[in-house]
Amino acid sequence: MKEGNVGRDMQQLIGNTLRWGVTIACVIAMIGGAMYLLEHGAEPMKDYSHFSYSAPPAGYEQYTTLGGILGGIVHFSSIGWIQLGVIALILTPIMRVVLSLFDFLKQRDWLYATITSIVLAVIICNSLNFF
Amino acid sequence: MTILTFTLILLLGAYCAGLLGSLTGLGGGVVVIPLLTMLFGVDFHYAVGAALVSSIATSSGSGSAYVKEGITNVRLGMFLEIATTIGAVCGAFVAVWLNSSTIAIIFGCVLIFTAAMQQRRKDDHEGVKGSECARRLKLYGSWPQPDGTMKDYQLKNVGGGFSVMYLAGVLSGILGIGSGVLKVLAMDALMKVPFKVSTTTSNFMMGVTACASAVVYIQRGNIEPGIAFPVMVGVLAGALTGARLLKRMKVKVLRQIFAVCILLVAINMIYNGFLGTFDK
Repeated sequence: MKEGNVGRDMQQLIGNTLRWGVTIACVIAMIGGAMYLLEHGAEPMKDYSHFSYSAPPAGYEQYTTLGGILGGIVHFSSIGWIQLGVIALILTPIMRVVLSLFDFLKQRDWLYATITSIVLAVIICNSLNFF
Repeated sequence: MTILTFTLILLLGAYCAGLLGSLTGLGGGVVVIPLLTMLFGVDFHYAVGAALVSSIATSSGSGSAYVKEGITNVRLGMFLEIATTIGAVCGAFVAVWLNSSTIAIIFGCVLIFTAAMQQRRKDDHEGVKGSECARRLKLYGSWPQPDGTMKDYQLKNVGGGFSVMYLAGVLSGILGIGSGVLKVLAMDALMKVPFKVSTTTSNFMMGVTACASAVVYIQRGNIEPGIAFPVMVGVLAGALTGARLLKRMKVKVLRQIFAVCILLVAINMIYNGFLGTFDK
């Protein structure tokens, strides 16, 4: 096996992480979605035809801030649960990067441990003000 | 239209988007954006958020199988992700200043480019002499052949590939799509990576690239729960069906038809973009 490919164990681990992450995210979003439809299904469709950064729709904190989303999950709000599914989905590839980092460290592959850390740092830096 | 009707139609549409995206190898985002904007009249800024969700879903959903089969070059993907994630952060930063018409025009251009690139020959680059830089970065790899053996390959032009990847990242950050075509072009045409390895590695990278800008999109409110959940569930189900069909189906004709459809959508996007229809 040439160097660009990683070992079989790692392939299985990455593959399973992706599969499980997506499955969990999808189940959470479906729970939220079902609640959403039960609560609001009969209401008329929202107006999505205009989006504005300066004048966001009412109650948008519920799905744009971590506090709002967490609060929604605790209070079983459908919107909170859907966003939790979205966050689980976003975390899936990030988990993959973290796992690869551990694996490269274990193999003492310092070059790729560094490269992986840079990728992780870029993602984390860009997400910092969310937390 | 009630929320229930909207959700069901969107769920069905997203399923088709995921199916087509996986059969043609373009990812769900390319279909999700026109579906939302042209069919439902949804603002581009919401559509981009939905495309981002579908990019992560398809990348992770179909990526797991490819990685397990050992086709994906994980080190190559990891290295190039430095360029795509930085690009995506820049793209997400720029996106705030763009109105819907500008996004539509950029998207239209990407579609035309996509359709053109679909017509290219798929090459496995026999006997490529790799560069020293690629060897030092441990980017050489091997990939499984139909007969079960592994075949070694080398690659070159790391700098060129890296630069194009940055551009692919910027487009992902602005449009929420995986920009798979540009990623494949960088690996296949510039770095001389075998075509199959290029496409699977590109797909593998999409999820991480999209994540780099995803949190910013949540905070800005681009990811609307009422749109996100049918898109996520639908695209994922469609992509899984597509992956299964792909093993038994000849998709050449489908891809030709799809390329024509993409061109028509692209012309529509650019035309309306210049007219400013999307900002009214």
